[in-house]
Amino acid sequence: MIQIQGIGNQTGKKFWRSLEELSNSPKFQNWVAREFPEGATDVLDGKSRRNFLQLMAASMGLAGLTSCRRPVEKILPYAKSVEGVVMGNSLHFATAMPLNGRAYGLVVESFDGRPIKIEGNTNHPGSRGAATSLAQASVLNLYDPDRSKEVLEGGKASTWEAFTKAAATLPADGEGVRVLSTFVNSPTLAGLRSQLAAKMPKAKWIEYEALSDDSLLEGSQIALGDSLRPHYDFKKASVVVALDSDFLHLDNRSLAWVKDFSSRRKPAHHAEAPAAHAAAAEHKPAEGEHAAPAAPAAEHPAADAGMNRLYAVESNFSLTGIMADNRLRIKPSDVQNFVFDLARELGAIAGLKVLGQQDKWIKSLAKDLQANKGKAIVLAGPRQPAVVHAVVALINQTLGNAGETVLYTKEDRRPVSALKELVGELNSSAVKALVVLGGNPVYDAPADLAFGDAMKKAGNSIHLGAEVNETAVAAKWHLPESHYLEAWGDVANLDGTVSLVQPLIEPLFGTKSAVEVAGFLATGKWAKGFDLVKAQSKLDDAAWRQALHDGVVAGTGPALVKNGADKTRVEAAVNAAPKSSGKLEISFVPSASFWDGRFTNNAWLHEAPDPVTKIVWDNVALMSPKTAKELQVEVIPDNVGMYAQKINIEVGGQKVEAPVYVLPGHADGAVTLTVGYGRKAIGRVGRDIGYNAYAVRTSAAMGFNTAANVTKAAGTYYMVTTQEHHTQEGRPIVLEASLAKFEKEPHFAKHEEEHVKLFSLFDEHDYSQGNQWGMTVDLNSCIGCNACLIACQSENNIPVVGKEQVGKGREMHWIRLDRYFTGSEEDPQAVYQPMACQQCENAPCESVCPVAATVHSPEGLNDMAYNRCVGTRYCANNCPYKVRRFNYLNFHKDLEEITKMVHNPDVSVRMRGVMEKCNYCVQRIQEAKIKAKAEGRATGAPGPYKVGEVLTACQQTCPADAITFGNINDPESRVAQQKKDHRNYSLLHELNVKPRTTYLAKLRNPNPELA
Amino acid sequence: MAELSHAQEMKERLTPSLTGGHPSFHDVTEAVSIISEVKTHRNWYIALAITSSITGILGLMLAYLVATGIGVWGNNGPVGWGWDITNFVFWIGIGHAGTLISAILFLFRQKWRTSINRFAEAMTLFAVACAGIYPAVHVGRPWRAYWLFPMPNEFLNMWQNFRSPLLWDVFAVSTYATVSALFWYVGLIPDLATFRDRATTKGRQIAYGIASLGWRGSATHWKNYEKAYMILAGLSTPLVLSVHTIVSFDFAVSILPGWHTTIFPPYFVAGAIFSGFAMVVTLMVIARWIYKVEHLVTMTHLENMNKVILATGTIVGYAYATEFFTAWYSGNPYESYVFFVSRATGPYAWAYWSMISCNVISPQFFWFKKLRTSLPFMFVISIIVNIGMWFERFVIIATSLHRDYLPSSWGYFRPTFVDVLTFFGTFGLFLTLFVFFTRFLPIIAISEVKGMMAQNHHEAHYLDEAVAASEGKQPVGAAH
Repeated sequence: MIQIQGIGNQTGKKFWRSLEELSNSPKFQNWVAREFPEGATDVLDGKSRRNFLQLMAASMGLAGLTSCRRPVEKILPYAKSVEGVVMGNSLHFATAMPLNGRAYGLVVESFDGRPIKIEGNTNHPGSRGAATSLAQASVLNLYDPDRSKEVLEGGKASTWEAFTKAAATLPADGEGVRVLSTFVNSPTLAGLRSQLAAKMPKAKWIEYEALSDDSLLEGSQIALGDSLRPHYDFKKASVVVALDSDFLHLDNRSLAWVKDFSSRRKPAHHAEAPAAHAAAAEHKPAEGEHAAPAAPAAEHPAADAGMNRLYAVESNFSLTGIMADNRLRIKPSDVQNFVFDLARELGAIAGLKVLGQQDKWIKSLAKDLQANKGKAIVLAGPRQPAVVHAVVALINQTLGNAGETVLYTKEDRRPVSALKELVGELNSSAVKALVVLGGNPVYDAPADLAFGDAMKKAGNSIHLGAEVNETAVAAKWHLPESHYLEAWGDVANLDGTVSLVQPLIEPLFGTKSAVEVAGFLATGKWAKGFDLVKAQSKLDDAAWRQALHDGVVAGTGPALVKNGADKTRVEAAVNAAPKSSGKLEISFVPSASFWDGRFTNNAWLHEAPDPVTKIVWDNVALMSPKTAKELQVEVIPDNVGMYAQKINIEVGGQKVEAPVYVLPGHADGAVTLTVGYGRKAIGRVGRDIGYNAYAVRTSAAMGFNTAANVTKAAGTYYMVTTQEHHTQEGRPIVLEASLAKFEKEPHFAKHEEEHVKLFSLFDEHDYSQGNQWGMTVDLNSCIGCNACLIACQSENNIPVVGKEQVGKGREMHWIRLDRYFTGSEEDPQAVYQPMACQQCENAPCESVCPVAATVHSPEGLNDMAYNRCVGTRYCANNCPYKVRRFNYLNFHKDLEEITKMVHNPDVSVRMRGVMEKCNYCVQRIQEAKIKAKAEGRATGAPGPYKVGEVLTACQQTCPADAITFGNINDPESRVAQQKKDHRNYSLLHELNVKPRTTYLAKLRNPNPELA
Repeated sequence: MAELSHAQEMKERLTPSLTGGHPSFHDVTEAVSIISEVKTHRNWYIALAITSSITGILGLMLAYLVATGIGVWGNNGPVGWGWDITNFVFWIGIGHAGTLISAILFLFRQKWRTSINRFAEAMTLFAVACAGIYPAVHVGRPWRAYWLFPMPNEFLNMWQNFRSPLLWDVFAVSTYATVSALFWYVGLIPDLATFRDRATTKGRQIAYGIASLGWRGSATHWKNYEKAYMILAGLSTPLVLSVHTIVSFDFAVSILPGWHTTIFPPYFVAGAIFSGFAMVVTLMVIARWIYKVEHLVTMTHLENMNKVILATGTIVGYAYATEFFTAWYSGNPYESYVFFVSRATGPYAWAYWSMISCNVISPQFFWFKKLRTSLPFMFVISIIVNIGMWFERFVIIATSLHRDYLPSSWGYFRPTFVDVLTFFGTFGLFLTLFVFFTRFLPIIAISEVKGMMAQNHHEAHYLDEAVAASEGKQPVGAAH
């Protein structure tokens, strides 16, 4: 603001430029105001000087706003040092991220008032210390320069005051007032909803999200008589049957599932395994393999129960299908018949079986399930209709799984019919005011409802959202919503565990949270989110603080219910179920990167390759090679990318054109579409990327559609992937064996390693002293979910390079997830191999660097001295694992000031022309070292660190606990234990590079009857 | 026998000069000097305009590169080196013939070198200049390229990594460039003095006066000169072998299949001579025609060079075969993959088979005398050979890098317009330097050619020796 001071107010000698100025008349004041109006520059122009200065000022100002991270709603400078705050050290705060009716319990690292890194909260039952790629990448959304920053009225800048005034015209009794929100799983919001209902009795509150589990709840209503949500205890499950359910990834509702599942994928075959383990597996390890120090027996407590067996029956080749020991690929509509037949085989329901060709499969599966009564889980995905879930509930009861491995809690249904009703009201112009509280129904509502057109008929429409999305554009009023890291809130997980959403920073822009807006609607007054949440929680100060500290509110948790399944109701539903069609089917899966599309402006997630196809910056229509042949479409590889032919998908007059991707392992006769792309109104990153699958998703067929018309379309579309070659070429890269073979021949991985004695030309370092860092990656646990990749990107300031550069092979990820197909093209298996710098002891990169920019540390790290690197790229050429990444261009150049706030100050931001790569999070090692020194702990071998004190970012967040890092010189460390595992092997050992990262071979536990 | 026939031809053509119409000492001086002394021909300006424009493109491309980053080239994830190192090795290879002709042939008393050595040496220097651009700008931070030199400076506080072949390369190439330049210059001194003495303008007098370092042609001068020339020839000889050996170490010392092989040093040296001679033939065929020096650079010279091309081309072909044999015999699956799949049938098979056709098949035509003495034919073949040798470096670099150990990171290299124009621009630089060279310096070593001319028995000793040796007789004037 330009302050025009009257000349008379100045001290010192008076200067004046005109008589007007001298007199400082109102006319002059007016002229000045017109000449220099406040905010004359268009703030929407992100590149304007004024905006730049604003952002600069904001960053500088925020650097001082350290107090707002504490649970005190005041901004104070440090008159005295705050306890626990050491400048330059980061702090960690527990919070939670709401998503789709569930909560991710998180711990967020804050540096100088900036949240920079998101981790899972070990106290939270849905996270258990792990975080998904979505949760971790959400920190980038906070600093998104394209975020919604101001109130808009009819697309023009307005103010909260103007909105407050306008909102006063809402009908007092709520006549014609409709609130449409995302799933309400915030106790505070639920409380405010009740208050609103009391104040405006005629108002209605509808919840809608594009991706919901309503069919699960409906199914339990049929089978169990109540709307119940199943929870699973994978720790206890020896047999898991996933029916069109990617429960490890896209249909995952709790990371505990992955944690528990993978705990049963770690067969304890240490050479020095306690006798009990060996006996349990009826196998004695070869004697005298390793000296045998006492191993911590409780390393993998679940291992005693043996490795589980996973059956996957699905159409898309999902991560769960990739992990499966036995996989059956069938069309989505056939899953229903499969389940019916399985239930019939198990005697759960009566009737004749219909699927002849899968009979052997069903029989073997049924036998296995019966042999594991009470120790099995049968689960179906949300795309399957209610009847499938009803039968599944019945099967689980028949097998005695209910109450053991399958538990239920009550949950309200949020059927899509409510939205349908609302659209009806809108179309009949009965809605005076529509308040869209978060979400983006114009984009993701079922196509047949034509929500966007209906919304125009509302008397008034108000949209609260974090971005100016399709709904915001259609609404009369748009209100900017606060990010969960900058606003108070609370959230209940699916199991009922409540967490407080603790902000780490003051709102960066003039935004308000859903709780605050709902509070305003309910009371007519603006209250602070903090007060609303605190009041709702009814916690005293101590309990409040404790809840903030722990990340969960004590005393909340699952309220289990035990309902018996009603066979007759289920059978009635089965008999009423529609028969499957012979037509080509389309099914809708969430995006691995953007969930339902709400993260589509997040560049990290765009560049995280799709776990299965490895395609970046695009979505595709997946189909099997056979189906592609039938449709006469193909993907033409082009060495640096591919040209995909396109298909037209038509459902009830709605059309979309999508590029195809031929995915080996996909079921024939089905096409899988990924939602979340094709956004029209969004920030610069996500606009017009991919196709919008919602365009052909109807309210009658939210999961899959058997009435779609799929035809070949003209033209091709260029796509890029991070992995162009999908087989191992017969090379011993991912070592794999069946469990049976492993038990017979536990050293199969070691046998691969046998070679003549190798020697190095150079004197080798002595690695026997001090800390020697090493890593193991358990290929049997890794599900390939990209959580480590995003963790690494966030921790190590890894730039995003964009589609074009990825096409040129210049992606920068320090850790990548190599995915190889094995077996036949029609029905393959796939394996994942996380690949980062292997920290070779005889590092081939080090000897060839002319300027000694990459050198070995005494602790066994292959260090990168960025400042010294001149960028010859010789090291990358000589790296057999191709894990080195070169800054071909200045990839950080176009970042806006606000986006730079996400950078981790412990890691240098690399300039162009410099090589970079994984360094085992050396900054975390150093931090632990400094801490150990500060606490005066003893130094020397095996090191002053407690076991597990130093965690790499990838390890910390891995939901499957596949990555273990630590001091291999410390026999107590987990990593040292794992290196003694029989499955442990070094990749490309014959090169004598001696990698510090080793792999634990992949095992599969297929049903021998289905071999 | 080439030696003999050439010596005889020279003797026949030069000896009767005092009595007949054959060239005298003066004629030689005239023939060479006049090129630089006549009024600059319009065509020279045209040539300069063309070549310097192309050099300008090089400058623009390099400026764009340095300002933007290596990303303007096609280099990528698996293929960290692309056309940059390909072109570097290509130009270094071309630079081989000059020193080979000047030094090794000098030591072996291959007299036929005299007419072509100056030209070949100039080509060496200019090719090394072109080559030298690449290592400097191919690094990610070219403004720090000097860190590759072991000079004390406050930023680094440590030595370079002496284990790195790239560092050896820095020494090898810079030494080679230095010695080649010195050798060339020392050889130029007497001729520069000739130019000085003939100079008619002040400018030429001063320029050549300084450049000829006070040469008066006294016996002492000649004595010292010949000694110095001999010493430099001795110094250069191992460099001819070492520089490309060390360039080959860049590849051979790595662990990449397709690079990691002990055959590289001899294979690279043979390839370098192969390409170097081909380039000399290309340029000579043009130059002797433009500057009318067919009587000094005879068909025998060209034929001898073609024989060298045939020999080294065959060696290179043998090396290609050996690579395949080793890949098969070693039983190393990664090695086999590179040769039998990546190169022979992979996405770069087109490059591999272009290389084989150009390098192995095309020189075989030189078995036929008729073909190796045909000017148009040798001109075409020499160009094909250089295309083939460029492909050899590209095949070695790109096919080995694009598919190595882990199939997950396999990729492909595709050049950008910057790659192409930069390479094109280096030819501009090369030719611009040549255009200047032909205008301002003696393109043929006047004093050395005169040494070949028999004005009397004593002076013709070189030729007599050669003839006598071939006839098994004691030469006349051998006491010298």
